Formats: sequence, structure tokens, C-alpha cells
Amino acid sequence: MSERQTAWLLAALLAAQLILLSVEAPSPDGPGDNVLESTLLRAVAPISHAVSTLAGGVQGLGSGWRSHRTLVEENQELRAEVDELERKLLRLDGLKSEVDRLSEALDYRQSADHELRVADVVYADHSSWMATMIVYVGEQAAEVDQPVVGDDGLVGRVVDVVPGYARVQLLSDSAAAVGAMIQRTRRQGVVRSGPNGLTLDYLPKQVDVVPGDRVVTSGIDGIYPRGLPVGTVVEVAPGEELFARIRLAQAVDFSVLDQVYLLPRRTLPEM
Amino acid sequence: MPTVRFAAALVAVVAIHSFGVWLWPEFARSIDLFLVLTVLFARRGDTLAGLLGGLAAGLVHDVLGAGPFALHGFANTAVGYAVARLSQRLMVDRTSGVLLMTLLATVVQRTILAGLTLALLPDPVLPEPSWTALLVTTTAVTAATFFAASRRLKGGLATRRSNRSKRLHFD
Repeated sequence: MSERQTAWLLAALLAAQLILLSVEAPSPDGPGDNVLESTLLRAVAPISHAVSTLAGGVQGLGSGWRSHRTLVEENQELRAEVDELERKLLRLDGLKSEVDRLSEALDYRQSADHELRVADVVYADHSSWMATMIVYVGEQAAEVDQPVVGDDGLVGRVVDVVPGYARVQLLSDSAAAVGAMIQRTRRQGVVRSGPNGLTLDYLPKQVDVVPGDRVVTSGIDGIYPRGLPVGTVVEVAPGEELFARIRLAQAVDFSVLDQVYLLPRRTLPEM
Repeated sequence: MPTVRFAAALVAVVAIHSFGVWLWPEFARSIDLFLVLTVLFARRGDTLAGLLGGLAAGLVHDVLGAGPFALHGFANTAVGYAVARLSQRLMVDRTSGVLLMTLLATVVQRTILAGLTLALLPDPVLPEPSWTALLVTTTAVTAATFFAASRRLKGGLATRRSNRSKRLHFD
């Protein structure tokens, strides 16, 4: 190929990518989905999976070499934790029975318990411009817009799926937005990620909110079910114009996630 | 053969990058291994290989969450072509030359990325200058180190081959 033809090819490739970027630039709905990206993800995800499995295995091997005394101490701590958890479970079982009984008396139908699917995190980059994670879901494919949660709360949602793997848009991504509410007062707003972390937007300046208030999903955005922990209010300041500036500490520490859970995708009823 | 070598190198870069991110969450912000691959591959002076190599490396980098799809693809395509063109005019076969070339390539790449981010993305957030400076430095040093190591290895292999052939006597 001559130099002139190569220069034309360069121009064509740059133009095509510029068009793709303009079309696929992040929107509140999340990253777009195209065949080329899915194909590359299908090729790249198994490599990351192999690396994370190997690294995790080596780390497990290393942590396995511990002294007998350390193991005995850890065993005692874990037994005490199990006992405490069993007591909590008994209390919760009792509470649930009472709720069921009262619900029946009021003829009130509760929402079904969430079915959780475990997925292994094979790649997580929350420091780059787009905070995403690749998870291994196994043979049963994930679905786009499936909510993803961790042990402590909301992680994000599935934005792209390929056989065996799914890409998750993290809550800390600049394009992510979640319908949320202050648990104490039920005042609703939108949680977004910015340069200073998570913020709860569109709450009026006179709203009753204090540092320490828990923020959970409101369930009105059609993606996330109600009640998932999102974060805790750490700062409340008067913002510009009508709304308060509320900063949150997120519930989940993304840097320590090695497993997440996929919730069933919500389907809204047809009107 | 160069295509196979590039593909193998790209797989290795993906593996090292994934391990780096697993080990240290800020790894992706502190070094761009995909750009190292682009520059070292384009250094051979073939503009077609340079731009296609940059395209492939950049798009794979985007898939790993580095940005909207085709952001690094665009930047690395342009940088790969530019490095190949520069290598046609300048013979860069010293470690210091590779270091400078990669330094320049990284600065150009970061400038293109910043420009595209500001122009195309809603609510653009640029990386902090300190992280950018670290990335530029570590990327250039990595490219130079890899170049020096591979040259030493090739030199060692060539010496061993030449010594072996000298020991063969045909009477």
C-alpha cells in the first residue's frame, strides 16, 4: 500500500472513530452497545479472567501458609461471628413471621425476595474515566440493565453482555445515575458521580437532611429495586439556585470486591 | 509474522494490565502499556502497521473500561501513524531516543484524549495533572527499558549464534 493510500486509510479510520465516539458518548442511559466492542470484550474478558484466577490462586496459596496459632485465633473469631449471626437470623425469622402475619391481616402483598446470582469479578477499573467492571457469569447469560449489588449495597448495572461475561457500569461512573431517597424522610432525588464522589441531586435547599442519613434506591427509575443501600450523607451545603449540595460516602468499597450479585432485571408493566 | 508477534504482544499486554489493575487499583492511571506497545511496534517505520497497531491496541484498551469505545482507539491510531512517519525520517535506535519518542508520543496522546473528552463527553472530567505526569514518565521509561532489554537479548543471541558457527569445522 502506498503512503498516500495509507494516509487516506488513516483519515477514514479517524473519521469513523470520531463518528462512533459522537454517537456512543456516555449519556445518562449509560454506554452504548456495538458489535465491535462486544467482540473485543469477548476476546479480552477470558484473558482478564485467567489472570485474576491465577493471581487469586497464588494469593490464596500464600495466605494458606499461616501459623497454627493464627489459625486457632481466626477459628475462634469466626465461631463467635457465626454464633452472633445465628442469633440475628433467629431474631429476623421472628420478625419476618410477624410481618407476614400482619401483612395477611391487612391483605397487603409484599414484593418477592430478590433472587441473587453470584458473579466473580475478573476485572475492575474504577480509577479510569469510565468506572467499569467485568464479571464472569457462567453459562447462564446476564441481561442488560440487571442491577448488581455487593455485600454492602449497590454496585451498578449490567451494560454489556457476551457469552460467559458481563460488563458492569459502576455507580462511580460519571455517566451513572440512580433514583434514590433519604431513608429517614423518603425525600427522593438522583444520585450521580462527580469529581468529589457521589452526590444526591435535585433536593431543595430546605430539605430535612443531615450527615449520617442513609440513602437507598427509590425504585422509581425502572432499573433498581427499592431499598438497596447507596451511601451515607457526609456533607450538606447550600448549592446554587434552588437545590442543596449533598455529598455521599458510597456504601460499597469497589476496591475490595471479588464477588458481586446480580438481581433479576425489572420489567415495568405495560400501560 | 509481524501480525502474529503483535497479537501475542497485545495478549501479553492485556494480561499484564489486568494483573496490574488487580494488584493496584490505580495501575491504569499510572502507566499506559497499550501505548508502549503502539510506539515500539510503530518504531519500525511501517505507517500501515503503525496505524493498525495503534487502532487495535487503543480499542482493546477502551474495552477494558478506559473510556468510551474508540477514545483511545482514535488517539493511538493517530500516534501510531505519527511515530511510524517520524521513524522513517529519524533513525531511532538508542534507548534515549526511544525514551524521548515515547515521552512525546504520550504527551500527544494525552492531549488528543483531553481534547476529545472536552469536546464530546457530557460533564467531562480530566485526570489530575500529577497522575498525567506520572503516566507520561512511567510509560516512557517502560518503553525505553523494554527496548534496551530486547536489544541486549537480541545481541546476546546473535553473539551465541556466531560463536556456535565459529566452532563448526568442516575439513
